[in-house]
Amino acid sequence: MPRGMKVLVSIVMLLLWGGQAAHAHESVVLIANPSANPGNMTRETVRAIFAMRQRTLPNGEAAHVFVLPDKHPLHERFTKEILGVYPHQLRLSWDRLVFSGTGQAPNEVGSIEEMRQRVASTPGGLGYLEKGAVDDSVSVFAVE
Amino acid sequence: MIASAFSQWSNQPRRYLYIAALSVVTMSGSVTPAHADVFDTVQAHGFLSQALIISRHNDFFGPSSRDAGSLEYTEIGANVSMRPTNNLLVSAQVLSRRAGDDNSSYEPRLDYGLLDYQLFANDSRVSGIQVGRIKHPFGIYNQTRDIAFTRPSILLPQSIYFDRTRSFGLASDGVLFYNEERLRNGIVYFAIEGGKPNLNGDAESALSLPSNDLSVSMNGRFSTLAQIRYEHDGGRMVFAFSAADVNANFNSGVDEVGDGKFKFQPIALSAQYNSADWSLTAEYALRKRKISGLDIADLNQSVIGDSWYLQYDRRLFADWRWLVRYDVMANDWHDRSGKQYENDNRGPAHSRFARDLTLGLKWQPRPSLLLSAEYHNIDGTGWIPPSDNKSEDLERHWDMLMFQASFLF
Repeated sequence: MPRGMKVLVSIVMLLLWGGQAAHAHESVVLIANPSANPGNMTRETVRAIFAMRQRTLPNGEAAHVFVLPDKHPLHERFTKEILGVYPHQLRLSWDRLVFSGTGQAPNEVGSIEEMRQRVASTPGGLGYLEKGAVDDSVSVFAVE
Repeated sequence: MIASAFSQWSNQPRRYLYIAALSVVTMSGSVTPAHADVFDTVQAHGFLSQALIISRHNDFFGPSSRDAGSLEYTEIGANVSMRPTNNLLVSAQVLSRRAGDDNSSYEPRLDYGLLDYQLFANDSRVSGIQVGRIKHPFGIYNQTRDIAFTRPSILLPQSIYFDRTRSFGLASDGVLFYNEERLRNGIVYFAIEGGKPNLNGDAESALSLPSNDLSVSMNGRFSTLAQIRYEHDGGRMVFAFSAADVNANFNSGVDEVGDGKFKFQPIALSAQYNSADWSLTAEYALRKRKISGLDIADLNQSVIGDSWYLQYDRRLFADWRWLVRYDVMANDWHDRSGKQYENDNRGPAHSRFARDLTLGLKWQPRPSLLLSAEYHNIDGTGWIPPSDNKSEDLERHWDMLMFQASFLF
């Protein structure tokens, strides 16, 4: 095999391996306080609630949104995989609402454990976890 | 310094406005049935920005071409908001801003103060109504134009977001209806607003031209504004059309000139593409300005000007972004070079246009801290605020370097 080809094959292998490693993560799921009946929401509705443009859940209850810090790996995965936006874009849309008086900022939590506890203890609470970290204290929403 | 800035309560009517706004916030909490979590929804946020401007040939926002430059560009604001019921949001913000003008006491103003009630919210739409002092949804950046974190650069493109006559487009006391319609992978947002615009001294001094001896006073009359916006795929592509009809009484303060009416009708087309690492933004605006009803026929005039800019900004490392922008405005699209204006002995040609090439760099190590620097190379003086220079001293070609530190909570 020519040397150039070897390098190319190695790069492709490395990329494939890297890609697999990225997919080895468990999937991120949308969680809610058990007061909301588990069900499903469209992606645009989930976007609107996490972008803080919609203030109520589909059952009419006031939504209380919980997020991890912008640079937290789980936050990055949630925004990209579930919302289809980047953390800095979401931050910009919060700042635009907060400083025009047309919306509020979400509640920031410091850790995954705090995320679970706050969503579990706040009626109307909404957040996200890795699938394996979900327990009976919260319910899971499917995103269409 | 901040404390002293906010303790300036020199203006009685404004003082009552603040007290009224605060009472609304407090009362709406106490009127609602006692939910334990209502006060959990109270939020307070604020921001502070300080710039250093160093320019050559012309002054911008203070004596920027002299000595070590100008520090007279400061923005300080604080807001409070709460959700007394599921569908209701109450919010108010106070802004203290100095931009080379005579606001050396940093006298604060009520920037907005509103009730936002969401009438419907379901899987396909959200619609609501806002009442109070409302920031105008015009173009991409107008609603939060004084918050450095929501601007792409220290200065917004001046061809569309004039600081020279900012109060024509800033906020109104009135009512706004909005509706967000959800599509399969995008939203259509529509807003329509009616009210009385808050005009300030900037509008008056900008319109005092051409003869500076007029002591103009203006007050807002019923005005309207509408915006329709489409956001595709979570905001990857944004398209917007905005239009406004801003009206004011124009009192010349001189008997022979009399009183008249002022009308400002801008429309703007906006487009933006956002990828993970870069954004491309373009906006075009057409601005019609009309003064009528004055006793001297020459002063009654109608002028159409236009503006556009193209802006590319890109992530450099994790927390760094750089930006390049070309921004063009003409005060009168029948006289883009201003030559006719100069031939008519009304002022220098370069006061009728501006072309600004901007390079910018931003570093945001945390969501709450932003450090920016930018360079402007400008041909024309069309958007320089009249308070910064004597018009006979203005030079056509000028440039400036700006630095800004901003903090937000």
